[in-house]
Amino acid sequence: MNGPLVNVTDLRVEFPSLTGPDVAVISGLDLAIEPGQVVGLVGEAGAGKTVLARSIMQMVPEPGRVTKGRAELQGEDLLTMSERRLQRVRGARISMITANPRGELNPLLPVGEQIATMARVHLGQGRKESRETARAMLRKVQISDPDRRYAAYPHELSGGMAQRIVIAIALVCGPQVVIADDATSGLDVTVQAQILMLLRDLAREQNSSMLLITRDVGITAHVCDRIAVMHQGEIVEAGDRQAVFLRPAHPYTIMLLAAFSHNKRLRALWSHADADKAAPARGEQACSYVGRCPLAQARCRAEKPMLRMIAPGHEARCHFPVVR
Amino acid sequence: MSGLPKFLLRRLAYLIPQLFGILLLSFCLIKTIPGNPAVLMLGPMAQPDSIAALTKRLGLDQPLPVQFLIYLKDLAHGDLGTSWQTTRPVLSDLIDRFPATIELVTFGLLVAILIGVPLGILSAMRQKSVTARIAELYGLVTGALPDFWIGLLLIFVFYTILGWAPAPLGRIDIAVIAPPTVTGFLTIDSLLDGNLDAFFSAISHLVLPVLTLGLINAGPIMKMTHSTMERMLQSDFSRFEVMSGLPRRLVMRHALHNALPPILTIISVLYGFLLGGAVLVEIVFSWGGAGQYAVQGVLNADIYPVLGFVLFAAVFSLFVYLLVDIAYFLLDPRIGR
Repeated sequence: MNGPLVNVTDLRVEFPSLTGPDVAVISGLDLAIEPGQVVGLVGEAGAGKTVLARSIMQMVPEPGRVTKGRAELQGEDLLTMSERRLQRVRGARISMITANPRGELNPLLPVGEQIATMARVHLGQGRKESRETARAMLRKVQISDPDRRYAAYPHELSGGMAQRIVIAIALVCGPQVVIADDATSGLDVTVQAQILMLLRDLAREQNSSMLLITRDVGITAHVCDRIAVMHQGEIVEAGDRQAVFLRPAHPYTIMLLAAFSHNKRLRALWSHADADKAAPARGEQACSYVGRCPLAQARCRAEKPMLRMIAPGHEARCHFPVVR
Repeated sequence: MSGLPKFLLRRLAYLIPQLFGILLLSFCLIKTIPGNPAVLMLGPMAQPDSIAALTKRLGLDQPLPVQFLIYLKDLAHGDLGTSWQTTRPVLSDLIDRFPATIELVTFGLLVAILIGVPLGILSAMRQKSVTARIAELYGLVTGALPDFWIGLLLIFVFYTILGWAPAPLGRIDIAVIAPPTVTGFLTIDSLLDGNLDAFFSAISHLVLPVLTLGLINAGPIMKMTHSTMERMLQSDFSRFEVMSGLPRRLVMRHALHNALPPILTIISVLYGFLLGGAVLVEIVFSWGGAGQYAVQGVLNADIYPVLGFVLFAAVFSLFVYLLVDIAYFLLDPRIGR
């Protein structure tokens, strides 16, 4: 196959504002996912991570809208796709897992049926066959006593169990890409790790790519091949896991990593940065991080930096990247 | 369905205290209405001592709690008292009249459901569409217009001008022989009797009052359907279904399934409410139903018909609520298990 599996280019998503012109929550965003790759997308709350995920699914939350750019799946733009065709792509070729598994499940339908429905709709299976598929999927997501759990209702399940069901629904049709948007944040820490490993293993087994969206940098360190750091609707740094973790170049990435450090003094750096959150207007003419950047210089206020390569496979959106 | 009998028993256990409470409350309320029935019964020329004698004979000189206990004792023997206006036992009066009201209200509610539910679903499906706007306007109009006025309008158009509907004088044509009473519902009794003339006459008399009730009460049903459907369609599970590529029809069906309990609730509340609430429509169409009977009782200090009506209506409402509870139980696996 030539070209990336998912290719988001120059994406711009705007939300209307009561007081002024529309606000770009995502602007000029590029993101590529190769087949079989696990890409971690990190950034603080409000960076636009979820809006990005929903844009790829063509489900931008109201009243936002995509005003520019493309989001391609194998060269086919999802943003201009007809509703009918989208219906066949969603769940079958791209699926999504979010943070609130119990809310995602239909409360009045046995969970096994909800998995089987996917097999009937997307794989064209019959009643009996789809039930078998669902049972097999329950075993795959390591639910104990799958025959009994098939008939269980969502309210009878724990959060972790519900998330396994959601994963089963998302993966039962063998999608090419799974978007996990904060998929573990509602769970216990120990369960988080289990779910994450399960998700990674299943994705690997099916040769699915994965976009793992999280606020927790630690999570990405374990499972991702590639990391993209998002800040105020832009990718500020992207690179292989090793490169980003060992040689972070953008001041924001450094701050973010410091925030998750075991070293108290490093963590203090973040709280200082956070206190100084007087962010610049999401204007076009300055670096979006300039208000919080400890290394900001005059040029950062005058000229918006572009995402540029600082080492092979490692990009940063900064005029003065930290290079060691 | 192993939990259903237990669930039902628990619900039934509440029935007796609920009925007792309703009776006690309505007894006290009705007794606060001023006016001595003895005075009304004997007329303006009565002597004070004959009024006193009748008051004593009716037990009205007893303290209130004693009167209530006497009423309860009679009730236990199936005696709901006597209406001084009709001079007949309240029980047989109500058995004559209650089915008329229930028949009217049931058909009216069916029409309301047939209008309200689909309109609510359609307007929730397509926000800001023409259908949604029409539905919104419709809800506003039904909330603002009184039902008797709609009834009069329908009579004016379909009886006076067009002459399609029969005269608004009761439940059946005077010239048609009414079928023997089995259920009290003329439509059913005439069919049981094989009397098609009576059946069509009953139906034609039902059309306008039923339409009146249906058109008005479709409003709240439509609004409830619209708002719950809208909420369900915006909920996380509907979004996840769309995100999983399920066909729109399936997403709608699942949303409707989840929206049904609140819709059922408003329907059951309307059902109980309309027994008395349809009284203006009953009057406009000279229906001779239980609501009219009760209102006559209130106006003439004739308390036993009123109490009897309250009792009948309460039993009926509680029965409807019980059915709704069973429906809930069957619809929603989270309830009562």
